[in-house]
Amino acid sequence: MNIRDNAPLRDRLAAEYALGTLRGGARRRFEAWLRDDRLLRAAVADWQGRLAALAELQRPVTPPARVWEGIERRLGPAVQPPWWQFWRTSAARPWGVLALAAGAGALVLAVRLAAPPAATPRTQQIAALSDAQSQTVMVVTADTRHRRLQVRVAEDVHVPADRTLQLWAITRTGKPRSLGILPDNRSTDLTLDARATAPDVALLAISLEPKGGSPDPNGPTGPVLYKGSWARL
Amino acid sequence: MSQETDQDDQLYHLLAAVALQDRAAFRRLYEATSAKLFGFALRVLHKEELAEEAVQDAYVAIWHAAASYQMHLAAPLTWMVTIVRNKALDVRRRALADGGDVRVELEDADGLADMAAGPHELAQLSRDAQALARCMDTLAGRQRQAIGMAYLHDLSHSDVAARLGLPLGTVKTWIRRGLDRLRDCLSRREAA
Repeated sequence: MNIRDNAPLRDRLAAEYALGTLRGGARRRFEAWLRDDRLLRAAVADWQGRLAALAELQRPVTPPARVWEGIERRLGPAVQPPWWQFWRTSAARPWGVLALAAGAGALVLAVRLAAPPAATPRTQQIAALSDAQSQTVMVVTADTRHRRLQVRVAEDVHVPADRTLQLWAITRTGKPRSLGILPDNRSTDLTLDARATAPDVALLAISLEPKGGSPDPNGPTGPVLYKGSWARL
Repeated sequence: MSQETDQDDQLYHLLAAVALQDRAAFRRLYEATSAKLFGFALRVLHKEELAEEAVQDAYVAIWHAAASYQMHLAAPLTWMVTIVRNKALDVRRRALADGGDVRVELEDADGLADMAAGPHELAQLSRDAQALARCMDTLAGRQRQAIGMAYLHDLSHSDVAARLGLPLGTVKTWIRRGLDRLRDCLSRREAA
């Protein structure tokens, strides 16, 4: 049976699939269609979203403390940051100012790294990208002389093996443009093109994407982890 | 389909930090969501110890899967609810296989009607849930009951029919019409 052109039937099946009442052979057939029908998958996701709101209609009940303790036990001890990164532990929040100073230090260092005396590059623009806690984790500089976009990543950024960090230029109107992915998720030099230095670019941002980068050419599909304003020097 | 709210935005940032193995962010995510998810698991499983197990399984899975969360597919809470539901259904299957007594209570099935009781309770809900609560109200009580039972307890058409003591065809029709009506009501609200 071809259901591609039968919109009401497609939506009905997607609804019953999400609800769980599509069973047996009908469910298996539907799952086979799902594999190569992106719009059908989107219809299922829509219905899962609608029905998931049912969960919120239940009375909230605070779980006993042992639930969290059990979760922590199962995850094992948290990986402690190295001692010298005192600003990353939450107990050290009052040190936020120092963290900013350290961020600024990293910036200076990055500019120096980017500027070996031999062939003096011209750093035209710079961004310090920080996470939601305002910790600087990445520095990006544009070197117009060598047409390079230099990306320096802090040592302690850990990315799951099956994910990729992707760099974006965000325009003042909020439109993202991909500048490329970071191979191995570490410091790298990308080719600088006009899309990065266009006058309408206000921010640089990093998103977490599946291997190979965002499947959507128009913007990130994963969470935006770091961002910072793209300053002209 | 979900419209972004402050709550979505907060959970989304926490999930991004959790994706990078940030334990403190994970704790905040737990504090922000565990009462909702535990309440839901209790509703599915009816037994505190089983609900605790399901919620633990779910958060461990959330910790490991946060990096694969894709915001364009689902709002953060929707994604987490789907995980809790799957874990709760797994826990119930295991309990049944061990010969446990896992009831599906009929008397609460229509409780879907009173959940969104007053305007105060409604105000606590996300925009998606408010819309759903209002649209559920437009269904006939029996349609609401059949859909709620099927979703919360993962029942087939014939399970629902058996529990309500009704012919299979009747239940199929109620569920189909109920879903049609929900879709129309929700898309009208989205368009508005």
